[in-house]
Amino acid sequence: MTDTETAAVRTDGVWKIFHQEAEEVQAVRDVSLTVGRGEFTALAGPSGSGKTTLLNLIGGLTRPSEGRVEVAGRDVTAMSNRDVAQLRLDQVGFVFQAYNLLPVLTALENAEFPMLLQGVPADERRARVRELFGRTGMTGLEDRRPGKLSGGQQQRVAVVRAVASRPALVLADEPTANLDSAASAALLDVMADLNRELGVTFVFATHDARVMERSRRLVRMVDGRIDSDETRT
Amino acid sequence: MPSPSTPRRPMHARVLVLLAMRNLRRHMRRTVLTASAMIVGGALLIFTFAVADGSHEQWIDSGVRLGEGHVTIERPEFRVSRRIEDRLPAEVRRAAEAAFASPEIAPRVVATTAKLAVTGLASSAAGARPAQIAAVDPTAEAGFSPIDDRLIEGRYLAPDDRLAAYVGAELVDSLDLRLGSRFVVQAQDAEREIAGQLLRVVGIFRTGVPEVDQTLVHIPLATADEWLGSAGDVTNVGVVLDTSAATAGVAARVESALDGPISRGDARVLGWREANPALAAAVAIDDFGNYLTQGFIFTIIAFGIVNTVLMSVLHRRREFGVLRALGLTPGQTGTIVLIEGLTLTAASGFIGVGLGLAITWHFFGDGLDISALMDEMTFSGVVIEPIIQPLMRTARLVQVLLFILFIGAAASVYPALRAARLDVTEAMKFDR
Repeated sequence: MTDTETAAVRTDGVWKIFHQEAEEVQAVRDVSLTVGRGEFTALAGPSGSGKTTLLNLIGGLTRPSEGRVEVAGRDVTAMSNRDVAQLRLDQVGFVFQAYNLLPVLTALENAEFPMLLQGVPADERRARVRELFGRTGMTGLEDRRPGKLSGGQQQRVAVVRAVASRPALVLADEPTANLDSAASAALLDVMADLNRELGVTFVFATHDARVMERSRRLVRMVDGRIDSDETRT
Repeated sequence: MPSPSTPRRPMHARVLVLLAMRNLRRHMRRTVLTASAMIVGGALLIFTFAVADGSHEQWIDSGVRLGEGHVTIERPEFRVSRRIEDRLPAEVRRAAEAAFASPEIAPRVVATTAKLAVTGLASSAAGARPAQIAAVDPTAEAGFSPIDDRLIEGRYLAPDDRLAAYVGAELVDSLDLRLGSRFVVQAQDAEREIAGQLLRVVGIFRTGVPEVDQTLVHIPLATADEWLGSAGDVTNVGVVLDTSAATAGVAARVESALDGPISRGDARVLGWREANPALAAAVAIDDFGNYLTQGFIFTIIAFGIVNTVLMSVLHRRREFGVLRALGLTPGQTGTIVLIEGLTLTAASGFIGVGLGLAITWHFFGDGLDISALMDEMTFSGVVIEPIIQPLMRTARLVQVLLFILFIGAAASVYPALRAARLDVTEAMKFDR
């Protein structure tokens, strides 16, 4: 485990309880987890195990019912919505299962969107995106809208969008779920390269064996709790 | 990769506008349909206000020209007493006329007149009738009042006339006079004695306003001087302006110029609203009716905008969730929706206003003829013409545009709040 100073993510006794009508659903139960900077970690488990909820808690998309979440040393649970939004913009990149590109923007505009919000100058934005598009085999598709791209291509744009703004942490929720084997392998190669070369921390929520195989740390979740935590060499 | 030392500056506003514009273009048919309602509404608003304001300006013009002008100066007691001893001191008249001729006011002045107006009795062999006798400078009065154009027989007064009278048709009938007839007018003179004057009818007029046609007699000022011993004094000095909208400003400047006489109680300045409260009330009531109708129409249009923008928000819940996940704050997310609503409203509002102006002036620039619906009619000393000349003032145009923007902003607030308050994780689950 990594100490707090070098941790990209730290959760301490985190619970997330949803109330659905009269029923109480404990999606995440007393999870304490530390993810060090530069890790390539997979949260694995069956559907309903709480991995996506934990990812959302780490990304500040939802608040814990109890416990504390830190990202890059900052307590997300104590922040205002505005500050959490700024933290996400500065420190966190997201990759979603359903790609979630903005349909009104081209591939290039989607990829540079977080940098646009950050105020990165246009030349630098374009340079970063073009380089990453080159590495992900997206060159020549910059001006296409998401509707004109395949699922694999859309997910590659989503990955470029997540890393181009140089976040400390990328949270990827089932990034390969809608892709075929070849596209999944290619995408994982890209993310592994970016992790190795740029030191970006990746945390995946997945039940895809291929992702689990490629991860260097595998945290298994069952019924909202951490069941096992295995680091590979 | 490029250097990690990236300078950052806020570009949020530009990004929000970009997203809003793209989203409007994305559902072009829906955008155009909603915009069409706003365009028609805006055009209707312009047409209605242009006709209403034009009509009101005609009412006011008629009222002030048959009365004492947009701005009039008289002694405070005169409006009630109507007596010659409440005439303006000569120096006040000179000061008032100098104020009207000043560089600040003169460009707005269309006509001025000075009158000695007294209540008296007109009598002939057929009997006697109460009369409002206005002693005027014939040349100045002809430019000020439309009464010389209402001639039905004879002629209007001439500068060198003496003992001449220009008389309302109904007074002529009731005194059994005709052109060239002589009759006598009696009134209290400057010495508070009853004085009589023999006059000859040189012209007969009909304004259509009963209280004018039954009582009014115009005579030359020089005749009144000899008859009443008024030594050239007048009871009021009035001015017709190029627009009624200038009344308050001109009245304030004249009040400032006449500060001394006003503080001594020798004069007061009246705008047309104070001088003719019935006319002011009629204009206000008609305006209120227009505001009510337009408010009703735009409330319906506003619901259309709410529907369009809200549907657009509900269909894009997942996208708003993504934007929040990417770092937009709730306020910025709502701002995108506000920009969409305001842009849609502003663009269609401007087009509607332009269309309204073009239609109004292309088809009705020479006047909207409603004579098939009504003949010339009168109320409260005002002649209402059956041909309405549309009028659009800059202030009204700004008011209309601000109103349209307000409707757009108000109609976009609820959808914007819905977008700002959405639960990000729930929104991300949303599937169209």
